Amino acid sequence: MLRFLAVLLVWWILTDGEASALAFGVGVAVLVMLVSAVLFPRSGYRLVWYRVPGFLWFFVVQSAVAGLDVARRLLAPSLPIAPGLRALTVHLPEGAPRWLLANVLSLLPGTLSVRLQDNQLLMHCLDTGMPLEAQVRQAERRVAALFGVDTGVAL
Amino acid sequence: MTLLELAQAVLLLAGCFFYAIGTLGLFRFPDTLTRIHALTKVDNLGLGLIVLGLLPFAAHLAAAAKLLLIWLLALAASATAAHLVALAVRQQQEGNPHDD
Repeated sequence: MLRFLAVLLVWWILTDGEASALAFGVGVAVLVMLVSAVLFPRSGYRLVWYRVPGFLWFFVVQSAVAGLDVARRLLAPSLPIAPGLRALTVHLPEGAPRWLLANVLSLLPGTLSVRLQDNQLLMHCLDTGMPLEAQVRQAERRVAALFGVDTGVAL
Repeated sequence: MTLLELAQAVLLLAGCFFYAIGTLGLFRFPDTLTRIHALTKVDNLGLGLIVLGLLPFAAHLAAAAKLLLIWLLALAASATAAHLVALAVRQQQEGNPHDD
């Protein structure tokens, strides 16, 4: 039902809120909902709704910092980067939480998810001198809180 | 020129500025993986600023929501694309293109 409402909302946005298109949109939304239910079955994880705004805020601020960080390095004549690969163990449960962490990390300062294999995350780092571990753990805590899951370790 | 228009002009110009820097990254950074950093992160900032600058111009609520939807889609697409390109590069480096 939530999925149906979300799809209908997207339809409403795409049609610029046109009221006459809404009846057709309901039919489309039902079909899209059925297709999406087949393609992406319920993951068993639920978002903690009241934590979504906080997570979004964290993400927007951090991704802006990431953009500024890369821009600053690019504009410096000496090009201060020290790229390298880092492997980390992810403490989040399999499925949506891990996937979200990998994607979010790609847009956070200095990190780019290369491969997620079981609980091993391989990242490419723009500057291996940055406190990367701390950043990843912070992002991990945020994702864990968003899904209301326990990572099983004191982070 | 009202204050709002001035703020919009600054946001839009800053957005274009960051797009230009993102492209600069293609030339200045040494390899594919570092270039992805430049393209995803700096361009996302540029797009974010442009969307922010356009929001007050939106004719109605649905148009504003559409701008936010575009931003969200671009974010998801660039994160996914960055990951896939990085994975392909890594597999090429390892000389084992079918291993995953």
